[in-house]
Amino acid sequence: MRNATEQDFDDIVLKNDKPVLVDFWAPWCAPCKALAPTLDEIAAEYAEEMEIVKVDIEANPKLAERFEVRGIPLLMIVKDGSETARTFGTLSRSRLDAFVDANVGGAE
Amino acid sequence: MMRVVTFHGDLAVKAQALERLRHHIMAGNFVYFPAWEDGKANVIGAVMEADDTPGYAEKLGYPLGLADTLPMFVNGFRPQAEAARFADAWLERTPVGADLTQIVSQLVLDLLANPELVAMTKRHPDVERGRRAIMALHQRAVDGDEPDRKTWKAARLAAVAATDAFEEETLDRWAAQVIEAAAWPGAMRTVLRDTLGGLSAFEMHLSLSRIGWTKEDESRVFHIREQAEKDGFKAEFSGLDRVLAILDADHPALAGQFRLRLEGVEEATERYRATGWKTIEMMEQAPLAAPERADERARA
Repeated sequence: MRNATEQDFDDIVLKNDKPVLVDFWAPWCAPCKALAPTLDEIAAEYAEEMEIVKVDIEANPKLAERFEVRGIPLLMIVKDGSETARTFGTLSRSRLDAFVDANVGGAE
Repeated sequence: MMRVVTFHGDLAVKAQALERLRHHIMAGNFVYFPAWEDGKANVIGAVMEADDTPGYAEKLGYPLGLADTLPMFVNGFRPQAEAARFADAWLERTPVGADLTQIVSQLVLDLLANPELVAMTKRHPDVERGRRAIMALHQRAVDGDEPDRKTWKAARLAAVAATDAFEEETLDRWAAQVIEAAAWPGAMRTVLRDTLGGLSAFEMHLSLSRIGWTKEDESRVFHIREQAEKDGFKAEFSGLDRVLAILDADHPALAGQFRLRLEGVEEATERYRATGWKTIEMMEQAPLAAPERADERARA
């Protein structure tokens, strides 16, 4: 899982050949921390289909502003340089899987 | 599936873990959260002296899904001394050399058999079918079979579709979410945590619906408290005591309902405590996989 900053977000996310699941988080956010193991599992399962990129909004406030992040954890799918879906709050592994499956495609 | 054997059959591993945990408890450094910061430690951090759940599971020989759920159990105990007592019992009562390979599936089966959950799912054939199908998969795992990934996924997608038939924030949906959360093999890190969290949330909403507590009531209390803070009303109190003092003074009927609401929320945390103790009992009854248990008995 890579981390993106204000400097390299466009290269890592928008110009990525694969769909990207962007995880907006912050070090003080307990729900974000709780979601991290779920994202680790999703990253391994969907390694072929997509990449997961993390954005620390405390260190990169301009990205939070640019993507109108009103609360975290916020997960956003970017395909071909554009946002196609987002979901906010903690999710179970099954819910996150269904979100990715619907917006990226299934891992087989 | 790789076997998971507690403390790798080594009594010294258990002794060291207990010593570290007790050291942190005695020093007054045992906390609910975070796992490890400035010498303060939760149930994981006290043993690992780091925020390292996978390391805890690996070092002590617990399934990762169980180690990941352990802080949820502990956080259900109040006050902190009770949480420390449970954390100590967790290690003390885990037998050395117990084979815990299937314990996550066993626990998920137990949660999915919850009578109040079943009473709700039985009202909806698709959800009930999903519950039975997912229980059957976990039972196969417990019996030594390993359902493949496609089988799990088919059961999971059916469960998610069944959930999506319900409106948000309804009891039926809260129940269905428990079923879909359980649709993963026991080796998955988050399956037990998600299922337990889902069941606790379902029980809390069930409890609140029984007393007639609504989102509008919640919002009303929030605004009353907000206004009172602006006005400095009942400032001699703090936290929940202040909310109750404000409601008792100006909204006695709502105060009574709010007390019932607090009791309902408190009851939901009982799910974590009960499952924690149940897990310890299951570990004590797990088959033994290493001879060190005999040594432990001899030394005890």
